[in-house]
Amino acid sequence: MTADNTLSEKEKALFELKVGNIASYLEVPGQKYFCGDNRLMDNEELADLTREFESLVVSLLGSENPKNMDSTELQAMKAFFGNLSHRILMRGGHVEDVVRYTQTLQLALIEALEKTSGIAFRQSRSVLLYFTNIFYELIMAVFRTYLDEREHTLQAQQDEIRETATPITEIWDGVLTLPIIGTLDSSRTMLVMEALLNRIAKDHAKAVVMDLTGVKNIDSQVSHHLIQMVRAVQLMGSDAIVTGIHPEIARALVSLNIDFNNITTRASMSDGLKEAFRRMGITVSH
Amino acid sequence: MPIPGLHLTQIGSGDFLLDPSKSLNISERDRLIVSIVEYLLRVRAERLYYDLSDLALIDQVYYAWLDALARAAQAVNVRMICIRMQPTAAFALSKFLHKMPVFQTALEIQGR
Repeated sequence: MTADNTLSEKEKALFELKVGNIASYLEVPGQKYFCGDNRLMDNEELADLTREFESLVVSLLGSENPKNMDSTELQAMKAFFGNLSHRILMRGGHVEDVVRYTQTLQLALIEALEKTSGIAFRQSRSVLLYFTNIFYELIMAVFRTYLDEREHTLQAQQDEIRETATPITEIWDGVLTLPIIGTLDSSRTMLVMEALLNRIAKDHAKAVVMDLTGVKNIDSQVSHHLIQMVRAVQLMGSDAIVTGIHPEIARALVSLNIDFNNITTRASMSDGLKEAFRRMGITVSH
Repeated sequence: MPIPGLHLTQIGSGDFLLDPSKSLNISERDRLIVSIVEYLLRVRAERLYYDLSDLALIDQVYYAWLDALARAAQAVNVRMICIRMQPTAAFALSKFLHKMPVFQTALEIQGR
């Protein structure tokens, strides 16, 4: 995207300006939002950060077309703010800190350019509009990084919950238990099924006790997945015993017209284990 | 007389193992079933173990073959038991089955 190429006098002056010695002005927002009590950055790092930003400003204003929103100079500046956002978030900072810093930096930059050049840039609507457009893009880069980080964190948490919520344990030689906790959705059921079938093959498990005590609700699709899981276990030649079905789940299964013929159910995990042991000819005495 | 595409081996009193090879042509289902049932009757078989260990996937066509063979065996009082089904095959089969098949399944040949 290329913006209007007609330049005002002040814009021309801005783009012809030899920018330099503005770092001290640009450090002020960083001091406010990242240093001191915020402890997100030390003074040395802030000084490096400010110098880097200053050189990016020099590159952008001195580029062939500073109003080109697709220029490599502006892309470099967006990447700089993306990295800064990532760094601050990883250190426990908030996205608000980075956004406020970026907004304050915009004002500080215009003020610095005005003071070092003696040109009243703050009186020029076209210059203010130019910087507003540039910093709008930079704030977007900050938010994009924040959203990517958030999505990445959520995905990692979901993976962890999935791993820990479906522990398949060999409780006895040839007897596996699978307590299912939380909400069963299609993708999770598929993961559980894959892990369970591979474990049956690996351990030559003769019985699997699937405990649903931790499942509070179930829908049509998931109930079919559950039946599919039981059937797959049986097809491999193992006995599937389903335990801990809540009254609400039982009612839902009836209304969903789920056929529980050929599926062994028991009230509790303990009863399920007894049934598994009985089938294997194991006697457990008190 | 050998049956093309499979090996039938006696593994115990009344127990036989059917080991299909890659050349098994299930499109000739009827001819294969007649040959297998003839053999089972001749040897007075009681149980037929069908080894699925080399089959990573069971589709509807292969399932129809297993179903037909199990029913034919049942008609001459022979129980068919499919053994060593792979997890991928069990997963695929469970997706389109609406009830348990007529054949039994087991992890291994019973007693092993």
